[in-house]
Amino acid sequence: MTALLELENVRAGYGSTSVLHGVSLSVLEGQVVSLLGANGAGKTTTLRAITGGVRWTGDIRFAGRSLRRTGTEDVVRRGIAHVPEGRGICTELTVDENLKLGSHLRRDKAEVAKDYDRVFEYFPVLKERRRLSASTLSGGEQQMLALARALLMRPRLMLLDEPSLGLAPIVVRSIFEIIRSINQTSDVAVLLVEQNARIALDLSSSAYVLEVGRVAVHGASAELQDNESVRRSYLGY
Amino acid sequence: MQEFLQLVVSGISTGAIFASLALALVLIYNAMGLVNFAQGEMAMFATFIAYTLVNAGMSFWIAFPVTMVLAFGGGILIQRVVIRPVERAPVLTLVIITLGLATLVNGVAGFLWGYVPRSFASPFSPDSVDLGGVFISYRDLGVIAVSGLVLLAIYLLLQHTTVGLTLRAAAHHPEASRLLGVHVSWMLALGWGLASAVGAVSGMMVAPILLLEPNMMQTIIIYAFAAAVLGGIESPLGAVVGGLLVGVTVNLAGAYIPNAGDLQLAFGLGIIILVLILKPNGLFGRAATRRV
Ligand SMILES: Nc1ncnc2c1ncn2[C@@H]1O[C@H](COP(=O)(O)OP(=O)(O)O)[C@@H](O)[C@H]1O
Ligand SMILES: [Mg+2]
Repeated sequence: MTALLELENVRAGYGSTSVLHGVSLSVLEGQVVSLLGANGAGKTTTLRAITGGVRWTGDIRFAGRSLRRTGTEDVVRRGIAHVPEGRGICTELTVDENLKLGSHLRRDKAEVAKDYDRVFEYFPVLKERRRLSASTLSGGEQQMLALARALLMRPRLMLLDEPSLGLAPIVVRSIFEIIRSINQTSDVAVLLVEQNARIALDLSSSAYVLEVGRVAVHGASAELQDNESVRRSYLGY
Repeated sequence: MQEFLQLVVSGISTGAIFASLALALVLIYNAMGLVNFAQGEMAMFATFIAYTLVNAGMSFWIAFPVTMVLAFGGGILIQRVVIRPVERAPVLTLVIITLGLATLVNGVAGFLWGYVPRSFASPFSPDSVDLGGVFISYRDLGVIAVSGLVLLAIYLLLQHTTVGLTLRAAAHHPEASRLLGVHVSWMLALGWGLASAVGAVSGMMVAPILLLEPNMMQTIIIYAFAAAVLGGIESPLGAVVGGLLVGVTVNLAGAYIPNAGDLQLAFGLGIIILVLILKPNGLFGRAATRRV
């Protein structure tokens, strides 16, 4: 299998502070990969580098083409949906308008309609609240909206930044079930950033652990789960 | 009572002019988080273009859309050339740049057309229609109809098209919009283009009432500011309602308060100050709360 996303020795930072000190990782077509690590390790910055939110050096390739000097909008148009930290909901707009922003670039009308049906099957609450302002949604519902919107982009790769953050455990479980289902039914690859290592490793096939801007551990998710010293020192459980 | 109604209708007509310019201010406020102090001058400049076209023999009703298109292009050009390079500059820099732009546009208009006021023929009949004793001039009705149509078109564009949706998203949530593939910078330019075009309408509608000269919009812009602030500065609908309210109020005050003519402008400024004190978010402004 060929790598869909490849980061090679990526360095990035904010102004004069460097945050990533040479991160390499890869996500295969249709694969779920966890990106774990303590607060401040550089997980969010890694995702931002991929979609051009921070300057980086090294190389990032998506579907065989480098993303160097590609603006965020154009990275996204190549087939990457990035649900950022904080979810990126447009709270000035309605639920429906947020969803439309997910599909606004697509011309395959019939397929879009099917995707809407799927989205509302996954998240019936969004259908009920279509006309309401997105600001009226609860945290969990906003996370659902963000995922739904990403799904409507029909991406080849989803970047999810802590989808479990601030949500009740039961909501987290149902959201992860849906991520699994999205990955399986539409063959979307997922790069999943999580603090909650246990639930992320359950879902992913491979995982990277970042420590202060470097990959400290890398391996199959199952192996990491079984390795007690890795779990203790990096994953906190 | 009849006189009152007549005053209200002509107030709505003036208000429609304020509303167009106020909407222009709001569109740009949403695009760059700041009012464009050059909005009035840009409208004046566009009006001079319309004047030139009409003088060259073009019918007003052709010159009108042509001017709107030119103003649209001009707005985009100004955003790309003047505003974009300083997009991330501090607010004060932007204020000074739009003030400088106002002076520049004013000066260029003076250089090209001079400062002698010119009369700009109204496209509407000077007659009035008698509605049960209330005489309403076709000029007022014409201004209301034309402004109303333009405002309606802008509304439909913003609320019911994909471009309008991405424009609103880009203005309010630039970071999130980029991640959805919206070319935010171009959307902001589009906002400038639309603002410039709708502002041009206010200029073309007010020129037959006032006289056309480079300083023509300098009082109108104060009323437009008042209207935009009254409506809540971020709300397009608020700008329109605010414009109509200011127009009617100023018109009634001018007629019923003795010697108010000299004070009308102070009246406009008074509205701004009162709103800022009593209701800083305006009639349609959302209180700035955000869910986390
Ligand atoms: N906008 C920013 N400006 C400056 N420093 C930042 C910014 N965002 C994050 N950082 C710093 O970069 C480091 C990594 O942050 P981040 O990528 O958000 O970590 P994580 O997502 O793993 O918690 C932290 O030390 C953080 O303080
Ligand atoms: Mg983070």
